[in-house]
Amino acid sequence: MRLTALLSMAAKAAFPRDYRYGTNRPWTIAAQRLNPPGKKRRKVFVEPIANEDWHVLRGDTVEILSGKDKGKQGKVAQVFRRRSWVILEGLNTHYRYIGRSGDYRGTYIASEAPLLLKDVTLIDPTDRKPTDIEWRYTEEGERVRVSVRTGRIIPKPVYQRRDGIIPQQWKDGPKDTSPEDTLQKTYTPSLKTLEEEVMEKMNIQEDRRPRKSYWY
Amino acid sequence: MSAAVASRLTAVCRQFQRVLTVSSHTQTQYATRAFSTFHSCQQSRMYDSWCFRSPMNNRAVHTSCVRKGLEEFFDLPENWGEQTVKSGAPWTAKQLRVKSNEDLHKLWYVFLKEKNMLLTLEQEAKRQRLPMPSPERLKKVERSMKRLDTVVEEREDSLRLLQTGQERGRPGEWRRNVFGKTFWYRFREHPIPWYLNSRYKRRRFFEPSHVAPYTRLSLEKYLRSKIRKEKREKRNQKSLAAMFPKKTALASDH
Repeated sequence: MRLTALLSMAAKAAFPRDYRYGTNRPWTIAAQRLNPPGKKRRKVFVEPIANEDWHVLRGDTVEILSGKDKGKQGKVAQVFRRRSWVILEGLNTHYRYIGRSGDYRGTYIASEAPLLLKDVTLIDPTDRKPTDIEWRYTEEGERVRVSVRTGRIIPKPVYQRRDGIIPQQWKDGPKDTSPEDTLQKTYTPSLKTLEEEVMEKMNIQEDRRPRKSYWY
Repeated sequence: MSAAVASRLTAVCRQFQRVLTVSSHTQTQYATRAFSTFHSCQQSRMYDSWCFRSPMNNRAVHTSCVRKGLEEFFDLPENWGEQTVKSGAPWTAKQLRVKSNEDLHKLWYVFLKEKNMLLTLEQEAKRQRLPMPSPERLKKVERSMKRLDTVVEEREDSLRLLQTGQERGRPGEWRRNVFGKTFWYRFREHPIPWYLNSRYKRRRFFEPSHVAPYTRLSLEKYLRSKIRKEKREKRNQKSLAAMFPKKTALASDH
């Protein structure tokens, strides 16, 4: 047990207490270039928002309130709750070269900068105007986002999987179990352990008795 | 017998290697040829350069080929040479809980064989210095196996609690080590009782008298650090609240 604990400790990446987390994942080369081991940066203070109070979800349409693209509406591509960041698709972009090597200056692409949560608001889907949001409970007891101005419920955006698979359009492969077989209930609770049940089914007779051993 | 097995294995490895490295329409021809030779019982004379020519193998009559199910270490032939292989979602613990013990037992071996196949594929891809097609399959299988293990553990735990009232499967007790720290000592299985085990008798599960004062000091240290952490947390929350005042009347921002 101790060996596995040691190995898991070694595998877990350790970061200093004042590590500044950015848009790149910490194990990428870009993040290592921005945060080399000895670097100390000024501490960023993030407004503490509880997880249940967070109202912007990935896939939502939001409007920008301040900055270069003020007044524009865009879809949320990524959310960083720890830094109250929201990255929209194609908005608040700056341009940079990517993949340069030797003399080739690289491809000129637009990369989005993150926006703080207080600089974006959700949009009322009916009249497409920005509103403030509150979490309220419906008559059924469901917790939903309600726009303060109009009182309409803002539905949750459809969850799109990262691998691009749409469950309704999935076709099973030869090694996949069909949904009916997966959900079919075969379990009957009994006072037998798995080993005893399997031995019964496979007609294994175990007449040997374990040798007396001492536990201490 | 073993020479035939070795020759079969080397032939299969060669076919696999051929399939991974060749990437054009000729690859399909190779694959089908390999497939046909693999499945038909060919004479060992074909692998002249590979197997040893021992006097025993020079018989005119050859026994049937030794297959031994080695094809299960490899993917389905239609997936050979693909860059990505489609795979479904892993099993969730909720789906596994409705299955009977016998089903879980069978499923475990299905997972194990799939995992072995994927690990073989991974190793061969490393050897060929090529990317492994769809490595997320390995993660899915490992997660499914872990969840199956969790479900079986849950069932065992519930049965043990019901019948004996024991919370843990492995016996143990709270003991004090030489440094005065109390820890959960997990018992180990031994063939001889403790009073005959000289190595166990040398272990000290008590603190010597000169260590006793330090127990109190370390407890004080721990309490002090806990209180300091709580105070630091409170101070941080207060300063954050001062930095970000909560707007009572929601200011209009458009």
